[in-house]
Amino acid sequence: MSRKVKANIISITVSLLVTILLTSLLLTVIGRNPIQIYSMLAGEVFGTGYGFGQALFKATPLIICGCGLALCFQASLFNIGAEGQLNVGAFVMSVIAYTFDDYLGLMVMPAAIAGGFAASALWGLIPAYLKIKRGVSEVITTIMMNFIALALVNYLLIEFLAVKSTVRTEKIMEVAFIPKLSEYSSLFQGSSANVTFFFAILLAILMYYVFYRTRFGYEIRSVGLNPVASRYLGVRTNRVILWSFLIGAGLTSFVGINFIFGYKGYYEFGFSNNLGFTSIAVTLLAKNNPIGIIFTALLFGVLDYGGLAVNTAVPKEIMLVFQALVILSILAVDKTVKIYYLKEE
Amino acid sequence: MRSETIHIIEFRNITKRFGNFTANEDISFGIVKNSIHSIIGENGAGKSTLMKILFGMYASDTGDILIKGIPSRFRSPLEAIANNIGMLHQHFELIEEFTVFENVILGSEPVRRGAIEIQETRRRIIELIDKYNLGIAPDEKICDISISQKQKVEILKLLFRNSEILIFDEPTSVLSPVEVEEFFRIIRKFKEMGKTIILITHKLNEIKELSDRVSVLRKGRLVYEVDAESLDLDLLSREIIGQVETARIPQAREEFEEKEILLSFRDVTLKKDNVEKLRGITFTLSSGEIYGICGVEGNGQSEITEAILGTERCHSGELIINAKGISIVPDDRIGKGMIKEFSIGENVMLRERDSIRFDKKRIRLKARDLIDKYDVRLSDETAALESLSGGNQQKVIFGREAGLDNKLMVLVHPTRGVDINSSAFIYKIIIEERNKNKGILIISSDLEEILKLSDRIGVIYKGKIVSEYIKSEFEFSDDEVKKKFMTRIGKAMIGAAS
Repeated sequence: MSRKVKANIISITVSLLVTILLTSLLLTVIGRNPIQIYSMLAGEVFGTGYGFGQALFKATPLIICGCGLALCFQASLFNIGAEGQLNVGAFVMSVIAYTFDDYLGLMVMPAAIAGGFAASALWGLIPAYLKIKRGVSEVITTIMMNFIALALVNYLLIEFLAVKSTVRTEKIMEVAFIPKLSEYSSLFQGSSANVTFFFAILLAILMYYVFYRTRFGYEIRSVGLNPVASRYLGVRTNRVILWSFLIGAGLTSFVGINFIFGYKGYYEFGFSNNLGFTSIAVTLLAKNNPIGIIFTALLFGVLDYGGLAVNTAVPKEIMLVFQALVILSILAVDKTVKIYYLKEE
Repeated sequence: MRSETIHIIEFRNITKRFGNFTANEDISFGIVKNSIHSIIGENGAGKSTLMKILFGMYASDTGDILIKGIPSRFRSPLEAIANNIGMLHQHFELIEEFTVFENVILGSEPVRRGAIEIQETRRRIIELIDKYNLGIAPDEKICDISISQKQKVEILKLLFRNSEILIFDEPTSVLSPVEVEEFFRIIRKFKEMGKTIILITHKLNEIKELSDRVSVLRKGRLVYEVDAESLDLDLLSREIIGQVETARIPQAREEFEEKEILLSFRDVTLKKDNVEKLRGITFTLSSGEIYGICGVEGNGQSEITEAILGTERCHSGELIINAKGISIVPDDRIGKGMIKEFSIGENVMLRERDSIRFDKKRIRLKARDLIDKYDVRLSDETAALESLSGGNQQKVIFGREAGLDNKLMVLVHPTRGVDINSSAFIYKIIIEERNKNKGILIISSDLEEILKLSDRIGVIYKGKIVSEYIKSEFEFSDDEVKKKFMTRIGKAMIGAAS
């Protein structure tokens, strides 16, 4: 293990400890016993198959969206637009799915996934084009595109496509559903966790391979690290920016698989619940490493479901505080660890 | 001459070292009040260091600076400014989105009762603009004005802070010929108004037209000082260059029957920000030869590389590149030559462009290959390039580029910041590559290097090759021939070639 990897593990561990400490402080201040809360959370999440399944279910879209974002972040493209991109993609995915499931049967899934990917990628094309051709910062364009995406999807739903007096599309037919984990093991009884979780893990492994074992990955990282030198080394930087943006945005649409095919069977407005933003934290916490993203996403999944589980004892928002504190302490601790640990050489 | 003149500034035995490198060694001279004093010397001669010491950016190791007879040691530029010393840097420090007025007062805003005295300050600035004929409008935004106007804003900043001693660091390098004339006029006006000007320069006409006195620095020492009126051009050129080791590398040079032209510039002009950086440059490079371009930095060297690589478009003229790929060793090793976070093998693979998969085994193989062939010293072949020494980094870049087997190679400052052993090794590689019938263009401000390596030499001055020499001219039979040649090439480099 190289020193850098060690330093990363140290800094993540230390920040987690700092976060737990600060959260405990907060819990004490509001008159709760932190140990009691933590053990309640652990008991709910790890003590029951249902709770564990729910944590996996919550982590799945974070892993998927995190992989898409990692692709952008590795190229130093700060894509803040995942929330919009994934909604456009998931919406298109569901529309294709329920429209064609009669004709295509089971084959509707690949078609819907491809369509969703294309829609999200297209949504990413706009900021990519503006960046390459006009030098417009992708941070601003992607933030703005979020509003447009949500408004557009909302409009299409309400005006044309939603089931009457709801904000969701029609349901796909039952056979097209992805099996739930509970179908294989009674352990996960009642939880929404489904096979998409394994798909997400595979995606993360694939992305890891792309980043660290292929030319495309090296080119993405080199553009992210030093665009000038990349050009001198013969990398076509604009092309790399374009493809990382398109594929990165496209991948975010895959969160729809978990929700549409694995859970509800339809697209519902608001299903993402700021998933696109939480994934930014998940990705940054893992330092854009897809394998790391699996773990940070699981952590956030545990906190997310754990928040609900302890809601009777303490407001579930405490877990949002926890998430925010993790990010802040990582930022603060990371520099310090790098200075003291890596400088010793 | 004025033997009993008052020195407004006096440098006394100034020495400044950076590690093992001596940037200034025992420099002593005086600057006469209300004069224009030029300081000339090659890149790295120590001019900027000396000025930075005067301006409080560095502290000298030993020695004193007397200002108006009083020993002064400024701990920061702010102290220097408070003592009426101003410095115009080569890189401007302006806020693009602010107006001229805002930029000028920034940092020394006249405040009364918590508010800036706009009216009065404005009047003062307009007065200064008129007095020195600067011709800039106080309300224009910096991003809307030209480079020469930006320079005037910087000058205005100095005037606003009541600078009496003005240091100009290569002020004309960003200006077009017409603008230079205007700049000269402003400088003369300063003198008229009783100010003292220190001019760091590389250009002979600036010395001849403007200066009262010239000091030549070489390798950190003051080697020559003279009143501009009694300037001996031959002597000046030689003093700037000094003794140069010219013994060529003994390695045998193969001669090739069939030569083809790989690179040809014909009357190429290239503009940047409306300033002509290349002004009708003409030269050719054939296979099996090394063409060395020497000259003072900033005369169009970097634009030659940019034109060849296509990162800047030529404005007119004809540029022919007769090679499929170009191997390039850029000037900025870390910023342009490599991805410093990647290992040797990864950098090689990235550059070679022939494989889609980057498996660890191949990366290691590539690294080992290069390490053996180019004698790279390191403890861990998978380590990031940033952990290697400068000399080893340069060997990696050389090995990588030579390995590409492109017929055309462009090498910029091939051994800058590289230790002696690595330099010698790199020279050996360069000759070897030449003997493979490759065409090699070397751009360097190190004359010794150019003389050692080249088959032909071109001197660049103001975006043009002003003189060319073939091998026989710089294979000296005796010292007299060498002395003559050094005078000629020295004059060409500062624009005094006849």
